[in-house]
Amino acid sequence: MTKAAYHYTFEHEHLLGIEGLHPLDITHILDLANEYAEATRAGQRADPVLSGKTVVNLFFENSTRTMSSFEIAARRLGADVISMPVAQSSVKKGETLIDTAMTLNAMKPDVLVVRHSASGGAKLLSRKVDCAVINAGDGTHEHPTQGLLDTLTIRRNKGRVEGLKVVICGDIAHSRVARSTTQALHLLGAEVHLCAPRTLLPSGTETWGAASATSDFDTALQGADVVMMLRLQLERMDGAYLPSRREYFRYFGLTQERLSLAREDAIVMHPGPMNRGIEIESAIADGERSVITEQVEMGVAVREAVLHLLAGGRP
Amino acid sequence: MSLSIYNARLLDPATGLDETGAILIEDGKISAITLGATSAHDGAADSLDAHGLCLAPGLIDLRVKTGEPGDEQKETLATASRAAVAGGVTSLVVMPDTKPVIDDVALVRFISDRAKTSAKARIYPAGALTTGLKGEAMAEIGLMADAGAVLFTNGDEPLQNASILKRAMTYAASRGAIIMSRPDDRALKGSGVMNGGAFAARKGLAGIPREAEWIGAARDLMLAETTGCTLILDQVSTPRTLELVAKSRSEGANVFTTIAAHSLFFNELDIGDYLTYCKVNPPFRDEDTRLAMIRALKAGEIDAVVSAHDPQPPEEKRLPFGEASFGAAGLETTLAALLSLVHDGPLSLLEALAPITCRPADMIGLPQGRLAEDAPADLILFDPGKPWLCEREHLRSRSTNSPFDGRRLQGRVMQTFISGECVFTR
Repeated sequence: MTKAAYHYTFEHEHLLGIEGLHPLDITHILDLANEYAEATRAGQRADPVLSGKTVVNLFFENSTRTMSSFEIAARRLGADVISMPVAQSSVKKGETLIDTAMTLNAMKPDVLVVRHSASGGAKLLSRKVDCAVINAGDGTHEHPTQGLLDTLTIRRNKGRVEGLKVVICGDIAHSRVARSTTQALHLLGAEVHLCAPRTLLPSGTETWGAASATSDFDTALQGADVVMMLRLQLERMDGAYLPSRREYFRYFGLTQERLSLAREDAIVMHPGPMNRGIEIESAIADGERSVITEQVEMGVAVREAVLHLLAGGRP
Repeated sequence: MSLSIYNARLLDPATGLDETGAILIEDGKISAITLGATSAHDGAADSLDAHGLCLAPGLIDLRVKTGEPGDEQKETLATASRAAVAGGVTSLVVMPDTKPVIDDVALVRFISDRAKTSAKARIYPAGALTTGLKGEAMAEIGLMADAGAVLFTNGDEPLQNASILKRAMTYAASRGAIIMSRPDDRALKGSGVMNGGAFAARKGLAGIPREAEWIGAARDLMLAETTGCTLILDQVSTPRTLELVAKSRSEGANVFTTIAAHSLFFNELDIGDYLTYCKVNPPFRDEDTRLAMIRALKAGEIDAVVSAHDPQPPEEKRLPFGEASFGAAGLETTLAALLSLVHDGPLSLLEALAPITCRPADMIGLPQGRLAEDAPADLILFDPGKPWLCEREHLRSRSTNSPFDGRRLQGRVMQTFISGECVFTR
């Protein structure tokens, strides 16, 4: 499908979340990202659509992976990139965020990529600056480029998204990935089932578009086309969310045996970084059904597409 | 092998049966119940004339402490089991507050294995709700349940952090595990050692206010309502607590209650001149409260009676009242305490037996506790009217801290069977 086929333009000023996007927006981003992915695979250099533009990576939470991914994406499009890993200081977080934003805004960047530990952090920042803001993860709220790259990876492997049964298992309650990915997949017509220990399964997931929410992983896995495991933050053992790593692995770890409950051609995903032996067996993570490294590859492509759409003119 | 016990007064609280008859035991299970029979079943390898004694299901005790592992000088699984079968208790749930705490699969298996090799009674481990009972991190509820833990509790140290309790209940609910909790707000209990009120004041002892139980219960019940967790309120002691339970049930909560047998028998005045054997928690309440709890038991508002067996050696009890440990040995006197309520009038024999046989069995899903075909042949033959003097030197527990010491009681177990095998004869 070409852009001309549906006379579409991408109208958004920022990318703060999947919420608020239209299915056509998502399809449009994925199409462009797919072009970038194919071009990179073919060894072609992308057009420098961001030439002369400045992209600032503002990461209040440490994340080498996501920050590098944005940095590479921006550089491939010819942008000047500054990455600022801002360590969490003892200063009140809200104050720091706004002060930093005002300072940066005065330097006239074109895109701010922000990660912050507070839900709503990216939104707050977007109100204070004149440039485009990309949310690279705000607290336990959203991580839209992750939702998009997951959707793209699925679409590439399955040829479609609509009608697929996707199971997302892990710490749903504290996962911005689960929120973004569930919404993105739901908007494109997939059936998303969320699975977690009850202590990590919030209520109201149907409003994200989830078809079901359960603590019974085995049942959820039956007939699944896609199995996505989330990282378990090991500090969840404190504060009595969970008993222990081994009990978690026993009931929610993805093993070969469990995976056999899903469809034979089911793919396995993980947003990384993985806890091998806690949420996923190494043999599966490295196995032929794993598309985990492709997710990383699509991460760059999706971020190229998003940067292009927000700052590189409207193709 | 088969055994026929005939000429017995068959008592089955599960069905309300109270008739003369015979039962046939084959392969450890009840294979036939013949009403009206005054002779043995044909073809039974062995037979036993009950001479009109009562034949009832063995008692199921949901709350027993032993000292194994770690405090074997207080009680072992073997000595507790010896006392249990003499008291007619054939199944008992042992609490996790041992040294080390039963908070791990290996320790659950240890209890089960030790019980198999050393104990006559059936022993079911309860798992710790939090690691080390510290109230901070959830223990491995799922894995321990899979290994045979029948319920989860923080024992005598109820969780003080409601947020952790809520998460534990949420998690337990999703794994179908049962949580037992002592309703006891520790800040309110403070340094109290007996029922709060005029008598405590006169004795110069710090009182435990009833509000400590109410507020603890209200919290536990509301969390059970919202999380859907099956909750056993451990040893309730006031009618007001039962009102809270009724309210929660009407809101859909799945809640059970237990009461300690000794609190149906004693009131606070039995403490007399600072008798430390009467120091228990929840404390013996005033007489009106005791009578109200008996009425509640009769009305079915209390689900189960427990012995709350808590062996304490002399060094823990031969102390000034305030310094002595809480706890009473109870395995050998539970049946007599209940039968006293039959002899005194308020309860029928079946009403006295139900809360210590079929009802606790149903609470934790055991097949025994009833006279039914195919049920395990865990049985007691008892003489409901037999008088006896409870003397602590004759008790079989390793620790004999019984408040019944010196009391004249009526009703005794004459023979106890587990899986059809006689494990105790008086």
